[in-house]
Amino acid sequence: MEGTYSKPLPEIDDINRPFWEATRRGELRLQRCKDCSHVSYPAGTNCPKCLSTSFEWSPMSGRGTVWSFIVYHHCWHRGFEKEIPYNVAMIQLEEGPIVITNIVDVKNETIKVGMPVKVVFEHATDEVTLFKFKPA
Amino acid sequence: MLQDMRDKACIVGLGQTKQGKLPGLSADEIAIWAFKLSLEDSGLKKEQIDGLMTQQSYGGAGDTLKIGRELGINPKIGTSVIATGAAGAAMVHYAAMVVNAGMANYVAVVYGTNQATNRNRFATGDPESASPFGMFNPGAFAAMNFRRRMALYGTTERQLGTVAVTQRKHARMNPVAVLKDPLTIEDYLSSRYVIAPLHVYDFCHITDGGHCVIVTTPERARDLKQPPVMVMGMGRSDALQGLATPDEAMMQRIQRQSAKMVYEMADVSPDDVDALYVQDAYTPAVLSALENYGFCKEGEAGEFIQGGRIELGGELPVNLNGGQSSETYMVGWGHTADAIRQLRGVCGPRQVKDAAIIQCTYSGGLFDHTLSTIFRRP
Repeated sequence: MEGTYSKPLPEIDDINRPFWEATRRGELRLQRCKDCSHVSYPAGTNCPKCLSTSFEWSPMSGRGTVWSFIVYHHCWHRGFEKEIPYNVAMIQLEEGPIVITNIVDVKNETIKVGMPVKVVFEHATDEVTLFKFKPA
Repeated sequence: MLQDMRDKACIVGLGQTKQGKLPGLSADEIAIWAFKLSLEDSGLKKEQIDGLMTQQSYGGAGDTLKIGRELGINPKIGTSVIATGAAGAAMVHYAAMVVNAGMANYVAVVYGTNQATNRNRFATGDPESASPFGMFNPGAFAAMNFRRRMALYGTTERQLGTVAVTQRKHARMNPVAVLKDPLTIEDYLSSRYVIAPLHVYDFCHITDGGHCVIVTTPERARDLKQPPVMVMGMGRSDALQGLATPDEAMMQRIQRQSAKMVYEMADVSPDDVDALYVQDAYTPAVLSALENYGFCKEGEAGEFIQGGRIELGGELPVNLNGGQSSETYMVGWGHTADAIRQLRGVCGPRQVKDAAIIQCTYSGGLFDHTLSTIFRRP
């Protein structure tokens, strides 16, 4: 039931909708510029490298490494209360961009900067599937 | 060209209200209080203020139109600059330019906040990329920065703890400071994590308070009450691309560009700096600034700050006000105020002997806007 999901949901708009439609299908797709091939995140209206407005939602390999990570011991939002201490990580994708996410199937103590990870998908609501990562 | 601006502007008025909790006062009332104190300090009359720059803050405070109306002035320039937590420092830079362009003669830059009383918890995160994953509070970025620093350079939590412990020592000598209980490295290491690897003492202490400085030219300063504190150099570089340029933003290496500008304008090097103030919403900011502004090499700041080097009496005293972890959370304003007092020579037991050149560095909470000002005594 929709009402039972208690964490903040991403604000989906016309610009980032294809991203969240892809995660719902179990795909990680980012904007790739059709003119210069630059891959960017989060979603925007043009390529931040060459300013082209021509792009495609290109599938990513889903592989990346931990750029950095932190562990929350303080609760700023009730939806996360029962998960404290929980991790939040910056993952650098093989294709370059950094995404903010969580690492699952892992003890916080064993996460390391530089650790290889791969994407997994986690159903949140009928509309939203979140992308997360687990050790590769 | 940059050097044309060296010593062309100065600070002639400083207003600093009581800090801590100021219940019953709105943020704008606190800002106006600071403005009045700065007039008194400078000997200027309200009617002489022909430039007003206000820093917007939590809860919609700092609207230039509203503050101007309350102050009863129609200045030549009345404006607000948005540059996250570094906006105050940015407006001092713009004020220096404005008085030299002749577009205004005396510019008051003002900030007031009541976010302690109003309980701003900094509970927000970016709704698209961060909060769905539980990433809240700007301290998250500082924690990411420090975790990566630990991995890249081997810096330890014990080494970082020296920042909070040293700043508390300084705060205990500062009548303005809010947190004055003794703090040892053992207290620090046994304290709770908020966002690991950062402990509670690594976070700014949110307070109410107001600040105002008045900027003019050295010629105009001659007739005023206070010895002018000269703006020797200004540096600026903004990491607007955020996570797309993670080394520049998250590891704050964008500061190296600001460093190049500020030292070129002031025509000094880090060796000439008698004391350093680092806007430290979170203590890892001190390590970043020491490296990126060239006080030590990349990766060495954790070791550099040991052995009393950044304490009063050390080789490079840092944040003699107590920083934002112990003095007040005034988005860099407390640091500017204390640098001015040091150069006026009025810091009593905290006074850096013969302080002639003091550098302040500023950065917004998400490491976006990066600034530095080098001040000198007249």
